[in-house]
Amino acid sequence: MNSFQYVSPHTVDSAVSLVTDHGRFLAGGIDMLGEMKEYIASPRVLVDVKKLPATRAVTPGKIWTIGANVTISEIEQHGELKRVFPGLQQAAAEVGSPQIRNVATVGGNLAQHSRCWYYRHRDIQCLKRGGNTCYARQGENRYHSLFTGNPCISPVVSNLAIALAALDAKVIVRRGKDEVALTVPDFYAKAWDNPEAHHSLGPTDLILRVQIPDDGRTCAYKQISEKASFDWALVSCAAAAKVDGNKLSKVRVVLGAVAPVPYQVPAAHDYLEGKELSDDVATHASEIILKDAVALDHNGYKVPIAQALIRRTLKQLVG
Amino acid sequence: MSERPHNEPFDKEISRRSFLKGLGSVVVATAAVPAGAVAAGTEQIEKLGAEKTLGPGRVPITLTVNGKSLKLNLEPRVTLLDALRNYSDLTGTKEVCDRGTCGACTVLLDGKPVYSCMKLAIEAQGHDITTVEGLAPVGRLTDVQQAVVDNDALMCGYCTPGFVMTVTSLLRNNPHPTADEVRVACSGNVCRCGTQHRMLAAVLRAAGAPVAETIEVIRSA
Amino acid sequence: MPNWPAKPSVVGGNTTRIDAPAMVTGAAKYSSDVQTSGWLYGMIYRSRWPAAHVTSVNVDKARQVPGIKAAVVEREGGRTVRFYGEELAAVAGVSEQACLDALRAISVEATPLPFVVKEEIAKDPDSPRVWPDAPNLADPSVKEQGDVDKAFAEAAAVVEGFFTTPVQIHHPLEPHGNTVSVTKDGVTCWASTQGIFSVREGLASYLDVSQEKVRVITDYMGGGFGAKFGPGAEGGLAARLSQAAGAPVKLMLTRFEQSLAVGNRPSSFQRIRLAANADGKLVAFDMDAYGTAGIGAGTASAGGGGGAGFPAPYIYTVPNIRVKQASVAVNAGEGRAFRAPGHPIASFGMESILDELAAKLKMDPVEIRLRNDSSQIRKREYEIGADRFGWKRKYKPPGSSPGPIKVGVGCGGATWGGGGRGSQAEAQINPDSSVEVRCGTQDLGTGTRTLVAVVAAEVFGLKPGQITVKIGDTRFPPSGASGGSTTAASVCPAIFDACTNALQKLQETAGIADARGANWAGACKKLGVNPLTAHGEWREGLSSRGVGGVQFAEVEVDTETGFVKARKILCVQDCGLVVNKLTCETQIQGGIIMGLGYALYEERVMDSTTGFVLNPNLETYKLPNFADVPDIEIILMEMPERGVIGVGEPCTIPTASAVANAVANALGVRVSSLPITPARVLAALGKAAKPGGSV
Repeated sequence: MNSFQYVSPHTVDSAVSLVTDHGRFLAGGIDMLGEMKEYIASPRVLVDVKKLPATRAVTPGKIWTIGANVTISEIEQHGELKRVFPGLQQAAAEVGSPQIRNVATVGGNLAQHSRCWYYRHRDIQCLKRGGNTCYARQGENRYHSLFTGNPCISPVVSNLAIALAALDAKVIVRRGKDEVALTVPDFYAKAWDNPEAHHSLGPTDLILRVQIPDDGRTCAYKQISEKASFDWALVSCAAAAKVDGNKLSKVRVVLGAVAPVPYQVPAAHDYLEGKELSDDVATHASEIILKDAVALDHNGYKVPIAQALIRRTLKQLVG
Repeated sequence: MSERPHNEPFDKEISRRSFLKGLGSVVVATAAVPAGAVAAGTEQIEKLGAEKTLGPGRVPITLTVNGKSLKLNLEPRVTLLDALRNYSDLTGTKEVCDRGTCGACTVLLDGKPVYSCMKLAIEAQGHDITTVEGLAPVGRLTDVQQAVVDNDALMCGYCTPGFVMTVTSLLRNNPHPTADEVRVACSGNVCRCGTQHRMLAAVLRAAGAPVAETIEVIRSA
Repeated sequence: MPNWPAKPSVVGGNTTRIDAPAMVTGAAKYSSDVQTSGWLYGMIYRSRWPAAHVTSVNVDKARQVPGIKAAVVEREGGRTVRFYGEELAAVAGVSEQACLDALRAISVEATPLPFVVKEEIAKDPDSPRVWPDAPNLADPSVKEQGDVDKAFAEAAAVVEGFFTTPVQIHHPLEPHGNTVSVTKDGVTCWASTQGIFSVREGLASYLDVSQEKVRVITDYMGGGFGAKFGPGAEGGLAARLSQAAGAPVKLMLTRFEQSLAVGNRPSSFQRIRLAANADGKLVAFDMDAYGTAGIGAGTASAGGGGGAGFPAPYIYTVPNIRVKQASVAVNAGEGRAFRAPGHPIASFGMESILDELAAKLKMDPVEIRLRNDSSQIRKREYEIGADRFGWKRKYKPPGSSPGPIKVGVGCGGATWGGGGRGSQAEAQINPDSSVEVRCGTQDLGTGTRTLVAVVAAEVFGLKPGQITVKIGDTRFPPSGASGGSTTAASVCPAIFDACTNALQKLQETAGIADARGANWAGACKKLGVNPLTAHGEWREGLSSRGVGGVQFAEVEVDTETGFVKARKILCVQDCGLVVNKLTCETQIQGGIIMGLGYALYEERVMDSTTGFVLNPNLETYKLPNFADVPDIEIILMEMPERGVIGVGEPCTIPTASAVANAVANALGVRVSSLPITPARVLAALGKAAKPGGSV
């Protein structure tokens, strides 16, 4: 890592002032320190946000509030949260390892950077790092996107983002002097258009909390990795719906690790609205969702996995 | 492929300019910043309720390790793992990947297993840190450590301190885990020699659960 | 000729590792833990080009970085680098941070050269040459026997396949590296090594000092698997830094460097044709294979070479064969001996094609093996294993498993040499009854230290805990490097000899016929003031060569997602006389788990455009974690009459073959490339979307 100054402010105002354009926020540290050790990021100052007020609590309610510094472990082990948002708990349980979950935060998980192995290589200046080329496009792209809006094909890797998107959660961000509430699609929108973006946050934007409406829907999350644990998802899927017997309403189905953003197709939600779930219905929904998928040289296997996960996640909703 | 530019050595001048910019003060020219302006900037930060900015050079820090105070002078960029192994003599915690992917550097932070390679020493202040050296008095073994010995749940031993920390924390919080709970708890610890099967048996037996013997010896006919 | 006792009291038992308490408490000091007075941190600067002509490496600015005490270039003058990661310079300083800053102050002038990193491309004579005077694809070695073409023409059944295995990285958890102290009095090197004498010899030669001035110490080391012989470039650089700085230098590699520059198992691309009679007797075997060991064949080792060759048709008797194997160079780190070099590769191709043939003939896979494997030991192991595994009940023809989650079973066999050779030892009996045994061997986690205690305890009639074992120092009687599964078979006879000699001397001195047991204290007292020492060395009669081993695997494959879950692995393994059952069994489990990694997860990925290793870490180079490890059942087939042989390598050979055969049995189609990832399973099932296509 390069040399840097370290500061641990007690107010959000200080944090936002101190980070400047040469600094970075430090939460759990897994992503930040990982990038710094490869000199992919070399901030002059690290602003530790863990002591900021009102960022550590999970508060149930009609709208649940989860502070940005709530750890993934805390999400995973929160009994009431598991009951109300089982898919969010399942997504949290698959993040990294217990050691990572004990320090990684909700905010950090959402804001984490690409895991593309070209992007993460210390000596490759790829498109996302301001260079000219996406090396993955013609190269080793087995882990990359089926859907792309721009030449960078690295997919979003946050598990929580997929579940939160299905739950219509909002991310409350301090931007300049204001607090803005971003839907999850808006939180990632910039990554769809801009190859250098991992999400829509500016360098001094700070995630404060996440809000999730408890609107009587249930949710589920599944992922497939190469290993049984501690492995990035090849494909992940979150679904949420109001369930009445086998009938679904207010449905969301979101795919992860297949696009720079949590991927959802409104037409699939429209199709599923009011339907009795069956294998055929689930299959048809997956066809709608995957309609625009374009396989690269080495990631075509993600299509059948996505199909299977959509079916299985929907099935898990109805129990 | 173009050469990646080297990082410039830390430049205090640039940093001060950025601070002032961030505070919304007058844009500073590229000439050297007068010392007075810097002091004013720092005071304003402190007025806003921020902690003191530390580094980039060595800073005195105090770590609470195994119940004792460890006073060190470290740059902010020194990890807790580096502090233990290279700035102190606590070499029980091992460095294998330095990227939070293998668990050999696992210590307990306020009782919870964390990767010490992904924790800055400076931010580990104010927490209770337990390393493998702190589990039992010299010459003694905890029940977990004894179970690892008795069940031969180790070979080269390099992953072992990390596993011992993880498993110690598991059994403190969940004295009678199922096999699947052990698997989840140990999913962040890698072993290359392949002692996972032994370690599972060791943990279950330490928890008082019966484990079927899976090894048979026969004489060739 | 000496003999192991017919009814041993300690040998063959379940002695826990005598060093386990030190390891579980963190008290054990590995080479990476050494903090000798005044020590400095060392780091290597490596080539960022996969191929380049380097004209200058300038470390002047690095020397000026605060905290840096020395900076050296790997060699003066220009040179050609041939892989990303090749050593160019090194620095030593008061901290890791100073070294990191110093590396970034090093400047290199180089002209990048064309390069190639994929075997299929490197084979082409038009591809960039790794070495200027030779094509990348070497002339093949050819072995022929009988009349292959005639036999194929006349055979009842012929099958053909193309099988590939990846480059596998050793990734011992303790990285390569040393703490080296060079003073005017000599050199002390705390090495993470499998061969302390190989490091001594290498350092002495590199520094041009006499060997007797070089002392190498390896008290504990964190794994090697074949990659850690000799001082390596890192050892030489650490020594030069120590010389330049006038202080000890600890230079351990990072995981990134471990992925580039300190060895690997070569890849393989095996086109195989196999033919048999209607009764399943093999008649013809034709192989055309190539693989890469990077820029060269790598360092030959006691356990076998690092080249890309391997035995074919492995363990099966085939009267007509033609085997062509060639090494292909690429711009990547060299191969080195890796746990049973060549054998997992050989096993995978052979066992896979054999199962294809069995399927074609509608023969049981165990049946076809019994028919063609001439090893009586393995035949017995197949019978025992099949019975314990429930093979007859579990085996169904390929693809018959119903439902989307398909279950399958498979098997494979191994052969290995092992055996012992020259090792010496010294036993010391003290007047106060205490005992010390010294041997210049090393314990890689294999339990050597404990075996020494067990053998000594057996001879002296003591308990293993009463023996002080001193190993891992070149000041002790020399022993061989630990490779090839030869350590137990080399060291144990030497310990037996030394202790037997010591016991004899004690009995003579004390005038007692049998000094063991109740007589021990009294006999020792009669030594007076000075301890008694006796030398010993390896002798015939206590060890031999040649083991087998078979493994059975049961897997379940999710045909919708491609995910493979190994459910169970059963191994029947012989290794002659088992000196200590507990540690032997752990070793076998370890080999199986390593084989599982080879089967399902591990693969070094090279990028064609940049020439870089894309997964130089343990995040995307994947090792089996706890949840990936299946049930493992071991049946240890003891053959004490054969003496000590060695088991570290045979136990890892057929695992991937058994797993691959189980997957093929489950699916009804074969994945013929390792690792068997979901991507490969779905491709084999024809379910993956084609490039440019979608649903």
